[in-house]
Amino acid sequence: MSAVRWALALGWPTPLFLPVLLAAGLALAAVGPVIERLLRPIYDRDESFQLLLTFALVLMFEDVIRFVWGTAPHQLGNVYLAYGQVRVGALTVPTYNLIVIACSAGIAAGMGWFLARTRFGRIVRATAENREMAAAMGVDMTRVYARVFTLGVALGTVGGALVIPATAAVNEMGIELIVEAFAVVVIGGLGSMRGAFAGALVVGVVKAVAIATWPEVEMLAIYVIVIAVLVLRPAGLFARATA
Amino acid sequence: MRLTRRRFLKLTGVGAVAAALPLDVVPVLAQSGPVRLGILAARAGVLAPVGESGLRGVQFATDRINAAGGILGRRLELIVEEESSPKDTVERFRKLALSDKVDAVSGAISTGVGLALGPAAEEMKTIWLAWDATTQKGVEESMPKPKYSFRSTDNECEAVMASILTARHWKGKFKTVAGINPDYSYGRDNWAAFLAIMKKYGIEAQVVSELWPKLGATDFTSHVATLIQAKPDLIFSCFWAGDTPIFMKQAHAAGLTKSTKVVLTTGGGVHESLKKDFTPEGAILGYNCFYFENPKASALAKEFTRWHAEKFKEWPNYESDHGYFTVVAFKAAIERAAKAAGGKWPTQDAIIQALEGVEAESLSGPRRYREDHIMEAAFFQGVTTHRNRHDFVTIDPVESMSTKQIQKPSGVGLYDWINGWKV
Repeated sequence: MSAVRWALALGWPTPLFLPVLLAAGLALAAVGPVIERLLRPIYDRDESFQLLLTFALVLMFEDVIRFVWGTAPHQLGNVYLAYGQVRVGALTVPTYNLIVIACSAGIAAGMGWFLARTRFGRIVRATAENREMAAAMGVDMTRVYARVFTLGVALGTVGGALVIPATAAVNEMGIELIVEAFAVVVIGGLGSMRGAFAGALVVGVVKAVAIATWPEVEMLAIYVIVIAVLVLRPAGLFARATA
Repeated sequence: MRLTRRRFLKLTGVGAVAAALPLDVVPVLAQSGPVRLGILAARAGVLAPVGESGLRGVQFATDRINAAGGILGRRLELIVEEESSPKDTVERFRKLALSDKVDAVSGAISTGVGLALGPAAEEMKTIWLAWDATTQKGVEESMPKPKYSFRSTDNECEAVMASILTARHWKGKFKTVAGINPDYSYGRDNWAAFLAIMKKYGIEAQVVSELWPKLGATDFTSHVATLIQAKPDLIFSCFWAGDTPIFMKQAHAAGLTKSTKVVLTTGGGVHESLKKDFTPEGAILGYNCFYFENPKASALAKEFTRWHAEKFKEWPNYESDHGYFTVVAFKAAIERAAKAAGGKWPTQDAIIQALEGVEAESLSGPRRYREDHIMEAAFFQGVTTHRNRHDFVTIDPVESMSTKQIQKPSGVGLYDWINGWKV
């Protein structure tokens, strides 16, 4: 859902270093509450409605981006190599890649701490578990939804900001990531943080191994796993047992 | 007006009758008022930068023609529609032909769209001048002898030229090759043509890796890692869009391009994105049929480059030239046919006949349509350099080859033609 907004980061005067880029990503999360308001009327509808509406929004965002920033890919010149490269034996790894890995680990740890240890994190988990019960206990649903949604958007926009120096902002990049994100969610299990983490690892590693060994099956391999998970563990690898 | 049942039935009845009318009525060209040219340009999606570029060439040609008095005194008017999926684009083609009553249609880049438009043009009896959209297999199979379709240069020309340059510059200097090409007919055909030409030149290169990322992919880190492991002496790629700079950036960051030779057959289409920071000197880079800094550029090409740079703050690429040529060739054909008809406005058949073999000055020099409706043009490629006033690579020296040399002749299959070369 939030993937396409990543490209928006381009609108900022060429962010030449990481903090500006991250700030731009975070600032973009401001669109979160607006979109959340738009989605509110369909919270009670079937999930497929939500999926369709959010996907329609993605397509509309693509057009808006095109009107504002044009169709050509945008890139950030040499920011990617601004931090140099690290050599390990015969391997050369751009330092930026390591920074992104560190940032991802940091964000995952931060999210884990937030959900497990803070008061708001507990409310979020309770709401995810049983919305009616949480509401009955006096939790203000509107605020929880707006905040969680904005948090999700912030994760997306910051993720996008992190990925842009290594690639380029292309209008269609969102769609590609969304499709992969679906695979991650299905493999990991909807609503499970650990599941999403494991799902992302599975998709990333399987993709890399497939390209190295048998490039033709890159996409196929991921979806074979998706199908296997759907058949054998329909709720995902890390689904909690349901009553 | 309220839509009553009776009126509705009347309307649908008229529609049904219209739909049932035979389509073999030869459209009569209007002989007064503006000449109407329908345009199919992709302005959304992965094709958008290329579509925009073609449209700019068309616009430049149209402005010049109208400023000089139009075509035989009639203004040239453009009706622009979107190129998207094959089905939708064919519907827009029909709309241009039936409802806008255009005199011809110019445009289309995607091979998939082109394959659908070919038969539609024949069915609608409407002249279609393609900008691109001509990959081998499809063309051979679905448009063997078209009357109304005029096609672009073969998509494989750039791979053929880059392969010849590879053999000329680097024969004996590489033993292993790897290919990373988009996973559709264009990528597959270009890679096959490259391997066939290497063989023809007696270069027994071992293929150590063949990678097929899907069209529009934006992350190649895994591909780069695989290539590093395969250690090829030479990498061949026909990436043509945003994939080119992303791949080069990630390859450079991982140290892949330091000692490996690189052949980018088509990267010149996104030349401004190939920054010096990550695009090495000494790579073979193809610009298709228009190179913006050609030292031998004509006054017309210089004027266009200036106009484009001032108006769009970008240096132009090849698709503009394809678009430009379709318009000036159409004008030249009308004038040629009119001359043969004693100055009268020519019939559509006469225009088609005049288009066959017509020659016109394009942005890259003289161009023509062959008698089998395929464009003939010059292609530009060369070895990349950092010695220029830009922040992106250019080529020096600029090498040029005619499609007479790098495009298969009429009626011969691509690989049969290559195998028949005398090297």
